[in-house]
Amino acid sequence: MNLAVEEAIPRVVGEGKSPSTVRFWHNSNTIVIGCFQSARLEVNMEACKETETEIVRRFTGGGAVYHDSGNLNYAISLRKGHPLVPGLNLQSVFEKLSEGSVQGLRKLGVKAEFQPVNDIQVDGKKVSGAAGSIRWNTIFHHGCILVGSDLSILGKVLNVPRAKLEDRHVASVQKRVTTVRDELGRDVSTREVQDAIVNGIESCYGVRVESGDLTKEGLGLAEELYQTKYSRLEWNLEP
Amino acid sequence: MSTTKLEKLKSADYKAPGGKLVRIRLKEDQGQIRSVRITGDFFLIPEESLGKLEKMLEDVPLREPELRLLVDRFFRGTGAQGLGVSSDDFVKAILSAKETV
Repeated sequence: MNLAVEEAIPRVVGEGKSPSTVRFWHNSNTIVIGCFQSARLEVNMEACKETETEIVRRFTGGGAVYHDSGNLNYAISLRKGHPLVPGLNLQSVFEKLSEGSVQGLRKLGVKAEFQPVNDIQVDGKKVSGAAGSIRWNTIFHHGCILVGSDLSILGKVLNVPRAKLEDRHVASVQKRVTTVRDELGRDVSTREVQDAIVNGIESCYGVRVESGDLTKEGLGLAEELYQTKYSRLEWNLEP
Repeated sequence: MSTTKLEKLKSADYKAPGGKLVRIRLKEDQGQIRSVRITGDFFLIPEESLGKLEKMLEDVPLREPELRLLVDRFFRGTGAQGLGVSSDDFVKAILSAKETV
């Protein structure tokens, strides 16, 4: 249902039925693959069974990410034409809408930097990846932040192609990622990171983030999208 | 589509200069692409346009000039925006596909 809500919000924002929205959420063990990826090529199905990890496809491009309760996801939906992102260049969207998270992480003491195309890194290691789209009259940007995720499971369930690892001169996916917990050297809750990101967004963009619930239209659309798309194997596992 | 004796299965994992991966799985018959599946961790908007590119590539000779012309036409015609992948990357990825068993 989380990925259905993820699609419903930008749709209702674009229709003017919901204000510009920042959403925070997390999943239990799940691999979320990009819309252009092949589940069979990217995911170790056996390891997913062993670790009870679900596989879900999102509607945006980019690479597969591993979600667990130690992972914080955020999503920003702005109506097209919003002054924060006047252009419609996807690289500019990633750069601009990652700034709030970068600022938030820095406020926590993490030396975060945006790294094109779509990563936030600390000393060359990825702590967050983003994806996004421009559609439904909306500029949409979402990312996942590794707060205290179990990187040993991540290394098992994702098949990272040899070409990707050779490019980064590291032997495994585990060695090219890090967590907020590891960077700070202490336990940190996803709530603490969420508060820092909200703070970063407010100071970076000069906006005020107010708590709220999913609108009635958003909830109805999310339920429909779950039934017709996100609960279906043909969407999640094909091609 | 059924696989005839003349069809060859070809595949490639091509890494674009920005680090994104383009994975090609195609069927070739007498020097022509019969069908192709393009997957990977790149960005392309509108997302639905990738299916259109795959369709446009059917029955196209597996040669650089024809592929380049077609992929360029796809980008111009659809107004699609790639990120982490360019027209040139799609062409190089397809041309780098090698025969698989």
